[in-house]
Amino acid sequence: MNEDSIKANIVQWTKSNADFTDPSAQRHWASEEIFWGVFSIPEDDIDVIGDVNGLDVVELGCGTAYFSAWLAKRGARPVGVDPTPAQLATARRMQAETGIEFPLVEAAAESVPLPDASFDLALSEYGASLWADPEQWVREAARLLRPGGRLIFLTNSILVYLCAPDIGVTTEQLQRPLFGMGRIQWPGEVGIEYHLPHGRWIGLLRDNGFAIEALHELRAHEDAVDPGYYDFVTVEWGRKWPAEEIWVARKL
Amino acid sequence: MKSADSVAANIAAWTRRNAEYTDPSAARAWASTELSWGKAGVPEAELDVLGDVSGLDIVELGCGTAFGTARLARLGARVVGVDPTPAQLETARRMQAETGIEFPLVEAPGEAVPLPDASFDLVISEHGAAAWADPERWLPEAYRLLRPGGRLVFLHTSPLAYCCFPAVGQITEQLQRPYFGLDAVVWPGDDGVEYQLTHAEWISLLRETGFLVERLIELQATESAVTHEYYNDVPVEWARQWPEEEIWVASKP
Repeated sequence: MNEDSIKANIVQWTKSNADFTDPSAQRHWASEEIFWGVFSIPEDDIDVIGDVNGLDVVELGCGTAYFSAWLAKRGARPVGVDPTPAQLATARRMQAETGIEFPLVEAAAESVPLPDASFDLALSEYGASLWADPEQWVREAARLLRPGGRLIFLTNSILVYLCAPDIGVTTEQLQRPLFGMGRIQWPGEVGIEYHLPHGRWIGLLRDNGFAIEALHELRAHEDAVDPGYYDFVTVEWGRKWPAEEIWVARKL
Repeated sequence: MKSADSVAANIAAWTRRNAEYTDPSAARAWASTELSWGKAGVPEAELDVLGDVSGLDIVELGCGTAFGTARLARLGARVVGVDPTPAQLETARRMQAETGIEFPLVEAPGEAVPLPDASFDLVISEHGAAAWADPERWLPEAYRLLRPGGRLVFLHTSPLAYCCFPAVGQITEQLQRPYFGLDAVVWPGDDGVEYQLTHAEWISLLRETGFLVERLIELQATESAVTHEYYNDVPVEWARQWPEEEIWVASKP
């Protein structure tokens, strides 16, 4: 296991939780709609997940677990998994405040203490998808899913990775090579991210027994605004190029 | 852009390019037995895209002067070359007569191929239909031509490269045009019509057509690759850092 990136990311997200995800948890949990990404694209516009009523769902890297809460409101039975105790404490407080209760498990997505073939949907929204080692968490997702179950994850696009300067907002210039991309620690950051080119995502998913169902490259809509806390990209950029992408795969 | 218009435009473009380059270079291209991919020159032995082709029925959509088809024939495949440009097929026929490597050549665009359903194990396109035919029409044709279990392999310019080309001139390290809305592109001063989709759209169209997505290989120019003598708008230094070309592999269930 990549103990160093797990540890670094717990430190990173303890800090980000104090800065942003804890103070914003109430607002996120209160939403009746499911939104994707920094430009808040409604699920109802892009129909990625479909009907989740009655599904067993595991969220890998749930943070404060607002996405799991959204799915619980639609009838899913979610389990939230995250390695950062501070974020899980926020999630527990929100569960007590809202009465929306579901299991929360403190674990890294690289090694999840839950049984094989026990979920219909494995989901990661800027969780494991960006902060866990893909070779390990995709294998775990495959293990956790029942045959026919789906894996859905949102992460940064390749173009953002290529065009983001070391520090600052995403540019229109290629800043680094695509070949060799993988693990990256941005200058001045504590956390460690994992980015793969599309060819390697497809290869990794296929190697773990998934069929590729869809890739959604997200476009900021006309009335979207610049992101607040996650200010790595502007809305003008996000209308021309995908800042984020969602993969959908099915376990065979 | 209607497909019929792009077929006519691309026949004109490739008649011109054949006179300039693909005809004069045909003898050299046919003489080579090397199987490698794209301008990047990545050896098939390294990527293992095709596997053993001996005994397979293979159709190449947009075969041009059919040098790639000829290399597969040498490896024991039963090949058919399909291309809409009479001038390139004429060059291919001359090379067949010179080399004694004979196989059927069919004059047709990738959008409408006059060959029977379920008659091939492998459909291949290397900068052919994959770049110059309407994907909404040539992908269903590829699917129709394949037997169950057959594979589609195609190579074309990456959408990243598309985004980095200026209207005229060499590729840059700057995003020159939006990624959203890639489609039929006519470059200023050029006569052909190129088709390009986003990765999400390729996956969606392959799935809607009935294919399973098997692989996407983003090609990195090898250390020994050099900037192409004729298709010279991408310096090899660019292609060592970013994929200028990519190969999709899909299978028919």
